[in-house]
Amino acid sequence: MFLSIFKAIEETGLSIWIRESDSVFSFWCILSVHAIGMGILVGASVLIGLRILGLAPDLPLAPLKRFYRFIWVGFWIQVGSGIFLLIGYPTKALTNPLFYLKLTLIGLAMVSMQMLRNRVFADSSLSEAAMMAKGRIFAVCSLAFWVAAVTAGRLLAYTYTVLTA
Amino acid sequence: MTLAHIHLLLNHWPIIGAFVGLFLFLVALFANSDDLKQTSLAFFTLIALLAIPTYFSGDVANEVLKLSTPLPKELVGAHQGAALLSLIFMEITGAVAFLGLWQFSRMSRPAPHPVARWNSAIVLLLSIVTVVLMTITGNTGGAIRHPEIFSGENAASAVGAIGSKIVPAVSHFVTGSSRWVWPILETLHFLGLILIVAAIGALNLRLLGFVKDLPVAPLHRLLPWGIAGLVINIITGILFFIGMPFFYAWNPLFHLKMASVVVAGSILVLFHCSSAFRSWAKLGPGEDPPAFAKFIAASSLFLWLVIIVLGRYLPLTQESLQ
Repeated sequence: MFLSIFKAIEETGLSIWIRESDSVFSFWCILSVHAIGMGILVGASVLIGLRILGLAPDLPLAPLKRFYRFIWVGFWIQVGSGIFLLIGYPTKALTNPLFYLKLTLIGLAMVSMQMLRNRVFADSSLSEAAMMAKGRIFAVCSLAFWVAAVTAGRLLAYTYTVLTA
Repeated sequence: MTLAHIHLLLNHWPIIGAFVGLFLFLVALFANSDDLKQTSLAFFTLIALLAIPTYFSGDVANEVLKLSTPLPKELVGAHQGAALLSLIFMEITGAVAFLGLWQFSRMSRPAPHPVARWNSAIVLLLSIVTVVLMTITGNTGGAIRHPEIFSGENAASAVGAIGSKIVPAVSHFVTGSSRWVWPILETLHFLGLILIVAAIGALNLRLLGFVKDLPVAPLHRLLPWGIAGLVINIITGILFFIGMPFFYAWNPLFHLKMASVVVAGSILVLFHCSSAFRSWAKLGPGEDPPAFAKFIAASSLFLWLVIIVLGRYLPLTQESLQ
């Protein structure tokens, strides 16, 4: 039943264009955007995480909150480009259990980052030392989830069982 | 001009560069000149960047030459082996020199720092080994095109023999040993990309005026993480190339990507990791750098993004080549 839905998606003009078009704006362009979005999203998270864990201690912590804007810009770039990639290859992604693991890991990483924001960055009464102590667990979790999510995403290209329905 | 000329154009630079770098470095050590030491460290790093496309262009040169002249296989193998060993040592020398240079860019006083002295000893040792290996690479390479110089004498040396065993062994490790090696290297390449974007991207964004309430100096202190990302990506990138040279050697987007890496890496070395950065590093919260610093920051950001895009587009031109 699911396969027939995937097949219907694969037969739409947009899906065919993403997979087969010779245009430089189709598949490889979307993949490039997805890679840049990953750099922005995970890069900004890594920056905040490493500082919370004690790197560059003379970097003021509170203004790092600004980098949450980059995290959300990166996140929506990933959602947008990810949907296009999914339209191009629905069967390839949705029949691979690793794809659901990847989405879960991204969700956990985003939740860790948001908890860091709400519990640590939102409380302006905290000293830097208190912010680092309180934020450590969220920073460790988000870094671990991001590394796992990137790994899962990369392995999707090598672990699929069905390319198209 | 064919692609084989690229190898001829590039191949003298790393050899002569290694010698010039070592000479400059020795003068700097004897004269105890920090300025000259920085110059030679930057020089080593630039030569290490240039050595990457030099090695990669060798495959094309070999294939083009094979069409017109019968090439003795042992000579090519010895040259390739010596070249790989030279490349490995040149890259290690460049990476250590890079960190030493970064030390200089952050030191408030240019007085000899214990870490900097430790760094100098290692760079000296590595660069001497590199110069020896480069000489052998030059000799074995010369033997391929100028047999008249080596009449009756076999230029293939012990180093070339060792190196020529390493190339197929590495190639087998990357593509033949397990189907998981390539995906794991790809993952590391992506994690390296993230470190580059995080450290180099954040510093450049600050210079351009985003997140202006951050001082510049502490962001600059995070640069070694970006350098670590670059080192990871150079190592994994060389492994990709050795694993599937036919995928990259003729690919025009790959040539463009390598040229961009050399330019972006040079910007990182010359402007972000030298004492040229010291006046920009003094900028406190809310302060704007000069227009030139913004130009450099924008160029660096743009080039790293171009490198990511070119990397993702590589399979496209590979398909159109077939």
